[in-house]
Amino acid sequence: MADEYKPPALPSPFTNTTPAPTLLVQGAEAHLYKTVSLDPSIPAALKVRPSKPYRHPILDRRLTRQRIIQEARCLVKLVREGVSVPAVLAMDWEGQGGESAWGGAWLMMEWIEGPVVRVVLEQWEAWMKKNAASLDQSQIQKEEDRLRGLMKRIGHTLGGLHKAGVVHGDLTTSNLMLRSPAQETTDSPTGVSMEGEVVLIDFGLAGQSTQDEDRAVDLYVLERAIGSTHPRSEPFFEEVLNGYRASHKGTGSTLKKLEDVRLRGRKRSMIG
Amino acid sequence: MIAIGMEGSANKLGVGIMLHPEDGSPPQVLANIRHTYVSPPGEGFLPKDTARHHRAWVVNLVKKSLKEARVSVEDVDCICFTKGPGMGAPLQSVVVAARMLSLLWNKPLVGVNHCVGHIEMGRLITGATNPVVLYVSGGNTQVIAYSSQRYRIFGETLDIAVGNCLDRFARTLHISNDPFPGYNIEQLAKQGKQLVDLPYVVKGMDVSFSGLLAAIDGLAAQWGLDGEEAAKEDENKQGSQTGEEQIVPETDGKPTRADLCFSLQETVYAMLVEITERAMAHVGSKQVLIVGGVGSNERLQEMMGIMARDRGGSVYATDERFCIDNGIMIAQAGMMAYKTGFTTPLKESTCTQRFRTDEVFVKWRDD
Amino acid sequence: MALKLETVNIPHLPGSLPVHVALYRNVQNSAFLRQQLLAGNAEFEYALIDASLVLSRAHALAAIFRAMNDYMNNRLRSHNVHSEIVFSFNPTNNIAESFRKLGIADSTKDLLIVKVSVTPEITHDSVAAHLESSVEGTSVPFDDLTLSEISDISKIKKLYKLGALPSPAAKPDASQPDDAKRRLELSMLGAIALRGS
Repeated sequence: MADEYKPPALPSPFTNTTPAPTLLVQGAEAHLYKTVSLDPSIPAALKVRPSKPYRHPILDRRLTRQRIIQEARCLVKLVREGVSVPAVLAMDWEGQGGESAWGGAWLMMEWIEGPVVRVVLEQWEAWMKKNAASLDQSQIQKEEDRLRGLMKRIGHTLGGLHKAGVVHGDLTTSNLMLRSPAQETTDSPTGVSMEGEVVLIDFGLAGQSTQDEDRAVDLYVLERAIGSTHPRSEPFFEEVLNGYRASHKGTGSTLKKLEDVRLRGRKRSMIG
Repeated sequence: MIAIGMEGSANKLGVGIMLHPEDGSPPQVLANIRHTYVSPPGEGFLPKDTARHHRAWVVNLVKKSLKEARVSVEDVDCICFTKGPGMGAPLQSVVVAARMLSLLWNKPLVGVNHCVGHIEMGRLITGATNPVVLYVSGGNTQVIAYSSQRYRIFGETLDIAVGNCLDRFARTLHISNDPFPGYNIEQLAKQGKQLVDLPYVVKGMDVSFSGLLAAIDGLAAQWGLDGEEAAKEDENKQGSQTGEEQIVPETDGKPTRADLCFSLQETVYAMLVEITERAMAHVGSKQVLIVGGVGSNERLQEMMGIMARDRGGSVYATDERFCIDNGIMIAQAGMMAYKTGFTTPLKESTCTQRFRTDEVFVKWRDD
Repeated sequence: MALKLETVNIPHLPGSLPVHVALYRNVQNSAFLRQQLLAGNAEFEYALIDASLVLSRAHALAAIFRAMNDYMNNRLRSHNVHSEIVFSFNPTNNIAESFRKLGIADSTKDLLIVKVSVTPEITHDSVAAHLESSVEGTSVPFDDLTLSEISDISKIKKLYKLGALPSPAAKPDASQPDDAKRRLELSMLGAIALRGS
């Protein structure tokens, strides 16, 4: 029998926080909360990596620490390079209480206000599915151009990411956001805005790399994610690559590598 | 209905007989017989020797299983065999035997994917309905979840299987392969205390063990803990301490053979639990089923149990009879396919070293 | 002229640990204050920071928060929470260097003073009274506009090794968000958070 659900305990110092941080997502290795930054009027995201009691404590500490630092380093580097990602506001990789009472590590980040691209595409696709038949050619063209524009901007942002020497490691449309512009307006009949700066989030599996292989796998993983979750948007993935190509010099070898990766799949081929 | 299952994809030869009663009551195991080819310490099992072993024993095992199950040849509905994946020569030995029996008895053949066999047997024994499956053995390391009539692979090893990693390190330490190397590593690990730092490679839901193996082999060599002599020395120490007060020697940070086994287990099992947890979060499942030979490891089961508990779920595992390669799992999965009308024509009754779990169309499930 | 001592309850910190912050310009007795600090005069246990190296309120709060969190977890690298605050403004692990670069010098004119209520006796009033009688300078508000007049961008960029970043506008325009300043600030917050990693 499963025990009654208990929300995970917050690490120090967030036991002091009023109002208490709101749990948004309880993932496999991290819990994401919404709270305030050091200025109570500005929201912040809090990512907690709790300790894993199944692991040997020394190993647990080493891994938790390594990973949260890795994530923070990638984010800080990207902020410095001007790539749009949530900035690191504060962190603690040691947890509280020293060796005996290891409570996990945390990372406080800038709060990004806006929808994730997954929702934007889902809403757009749903509307198009329902209404495409009643649109004329120029209206369809206009909608598809909007989507192309978004795809291109995504590609451009990914180009910036890779140029800065970071690979994301888990690119899905859930890890892409659109930062809401100050005045949200859309004249599209779909009511779905595609405006706003593309922001990359969740760098839990990110790493520093400039290898074409790693970069191509990043693009491939996104291509597959769009293919499996957004069938109507899939034909426009080419625009992601166009945006990527135009983002900086030297993307040619990565895009060439992407062809290889597409042929063999994400993993290198292996035996039995 | 009665199915006979024949398995020989690695060093275990297994023959099992399953009964699926007509009245729909739960399937019964009528016989589950296994004979293992054990190689000497420091050596792995070679395909040709293993194949020879299987050829020498298969007739004997089939006879014995029929006798034990108290069924006659006429009662058997189908002959299920392992089509793959596994080692070529041993697979071939068993498929030839199955084909012969099919012709001799005039019974249909059912080719079975070895991994699917593990999954179906695990589901039957534990009652787990729709678990995330961790399949861990000498040849495979996969995290699997069912979705629309396929067992889909969410994560897997990028190089060697976890059992292979354990087996090869057992060879390095010259640990006995009887009953199987992983068991003896587990026993030695119980005396280990000091955790040595080993490469921990998890990429998303995938793992890699080859770097870790190289590192721990290197440590064993560096501290003079590898090879036959060190193994003998260790054994003598054990012997002389029987009945006496256990003296913990000063180690000066030098790891013992037990420490290396302990560290190896702690590291590789943490990696496996981590990717399993990630898959559970991904598909929103609270059940885990561990199958495959490595699944009998108690430390792995314990760690998985803690993880599952913290997610409000539970872990399902089976004992050696079912998680180590056996014939009934082939009979069980084969029977499920057979009941949907599936058979393997003689012409197609081949075997293959590579046969991915997600290639099988799981017609017998519709959830 | 009235003292503008601000008492801040930084979110996430216990209510029992308010932080008192004062910003001064044109300080006349920096040498004296520094002397008290060196002599270990407990009454003068403050974090005294060269305000020309402080970019913004968010910058100062991030450094204070870092020190406070380490203080609460018994991980101070220096003598006390006040010296730790000075150290936390430094992007590298060198404590002596942080005091030399960021701490008060005899010639310091613009000064950020921070005091934490580490004991119940330390209150807004007690700190205010002590500062009024000890600091000879002009008390100014602890806000971004004032700090933007004080901060020396090129020195800050050098300290944080962020020379490649674009510089914020010299004259702040409240109606326009300053992207360069924001990027610089966020890069500095990241450096403070990651120090020692």
